[in-house]
Amino acid sequence: MLLEAERICVSYGKVSAIRDITIRVPEGKIVTIIGGNGAGKTTTLRAFSGLVPLRSGEIRFLGKRIDGMSADKIVAHGIAHVPEGRRIFPNMTVEENLRTGAFLRRDHAAVEKDLADVFARFPRLKERRGQRAQTMSGGEQQMLAIGRALMSDPRVLLMDEPSMGLAPVIVEEIAQIIEEINARGLSVVLVEQNAELALELADMAYVLETGNMALEGPAHELHDNEHVRAAYLGL
Amino acid sequence: MLDLLAQTGLNAVYAASYISLIAVGLVLIFGVMGVINFAHGELFMVGAYTVVALYADRHLPFLVAVAAGLVFVGLLGLVMERALFRPLRDNPLGGLVASIGFLMILQAVAVLGFGVRMVHVPPVTQEVIVFSDRIRLPVARLYVIVAAVVLLSGLWFFLKRTRFGWALRASAQDPEAAALQGISINQTARIAMFIGAALAGVAGALTAPLVSINPHMGHSVIVTAFIVIIVGGVGSLEGAVIASVVYAFVHTFVTTLYDGVIADIVGLSLMLLVLIIKPTGLFGSADRA
Repeated sequence: MLLEAERICVSYGKVSAIRDITIRVPEGKIVTIIGGNGAGKTTTLRAFSGLVPLRSGEIRFLGKRIDGMSADKIVAHGIAHVPEGRRIFPNMTVEENLRTGAFLRRDHAAVEKDLADVFARFPRLKERRGQRAQTMSGGEQQMLAIGRALMSDPRVLLMDEPSMGLAPVIVEEIAQIIEEINARGLSVVLVEQNAELALELADMAYVLETGNMALEGPAHELHDNEHVRAAYLGL
Repeated sequence: MLDLLAQTGLNAVYAASYISLIAVGLVLIFGVMGVINFAHGELFMVGAYTVVALYADRHLPFLVAVAAGLVFVGLLGLVMERALFRPLRDNPLGGLVASIGFLMILQAVAVLGFGVRMVHVPPVTQEVIVFSDRIRLPVARLYVIVAAVVLLSGLWFFLKRTRFGWALRASAQDPEAAALQGISINQTARIAMFIGAALAGVAGALTAPLVSINPHMGHSVIVTAFIVIIVGGVGSLEGAVIASVVYAFVHTFVTTLYDGVIADIVGLSLMLLVLIIKPTGLFGSADRA
């Protein structure tokens, strides 16, 4: 297993956010976590990348425990996180944002190649490489956030609500990008409110409800599940 | 009249040089660590006393004393980061209060070591560049101007062209997103604190032969620096430099034409005016750095 969380619990002060969550991310697959507002999706992702401490449970990457490591150490293992709200560096240029994604890397030639790859994948980022990131549209900022995460040369990409606040045509584009990235062998953990999109893209799906694991299974099975259809797909 | 303008202009350029060294350091520390370092004026004071101890008392070369001031005060900054600001990271007000306590400790140590009396450092050079009968620039002041230009250009290059510079700016703009890129917040805090403190120390060391030195000299320095960074926009390094120049010119001209007290009043009024017209400062925005 590439990445796995085993019975993890996280709480903020006395308030428990997620309880006994177990998630497995196989190599090369897209795993999605869906659920309503406050279900604990973002918290789960933040636990993976070390932004919130676990109260109990374990997180392993290639069998090695990574819970308890600080966020900047976890990146070095090959886990990249595209955070909710994109969180690009507003006053840095597009290129500076991308190169900051490669902060830990020493393989300069490969970094230049990856930068060229990102520019090939997102031509608009190339056009705007010298522009300050905050001057770009929401969709472009989301592409920048994805590009920045790819620049760390990760094994797994954690994506938090990449479709949030974007026009449907841009969401379509982002979905295509996720499929392309995955086709190149990168595993993806996708947190989405847009369950329709998420279940379409994913191989495996987990449904969180108020901090508990409600359902799990192959994405196409959950797509046909009565409860999921009623609660998340509006069918 | 023209002579007077030119001479006062030169004086203002000198004042702008050391004020911007101090203000830029203060802004850098605030940007990366989110803490207002009230002890910044005392770091300037420690830099000046380093020159008293090494150059005036022990007769080491001036440049050696200045370099020692830069390094020593920079290391003092690292101590502050580790002992005060890191434990209080989630509590910006706590960091501010701790820095006020630290400034009192530094003042007390200076009093114990050197006494409360004014100290004067022998001039490094008596040479004066004479442009005309009434326009002169003491070479000692030229050193300060050159050093400020070199150091601030170096800082600009570091921030805009190196990966650690990007890391510093990234963690100033969004510490959590920076951590997700593998940037250690502890490391960027150390770098910012070392650079910020070292700039204050080197400003104190360079100006030591030109001012009277006492343990409480940091007070007027920090007030000036606060005015400058508020005018420039808290969090903007460019704003701090430009506001230093504006403030230095206004203050120096008013001092020359009227007197120093009125100049202080005008300086503070300038700050109030900026706060009324543009509360984020001339170059500030809601974002930092």
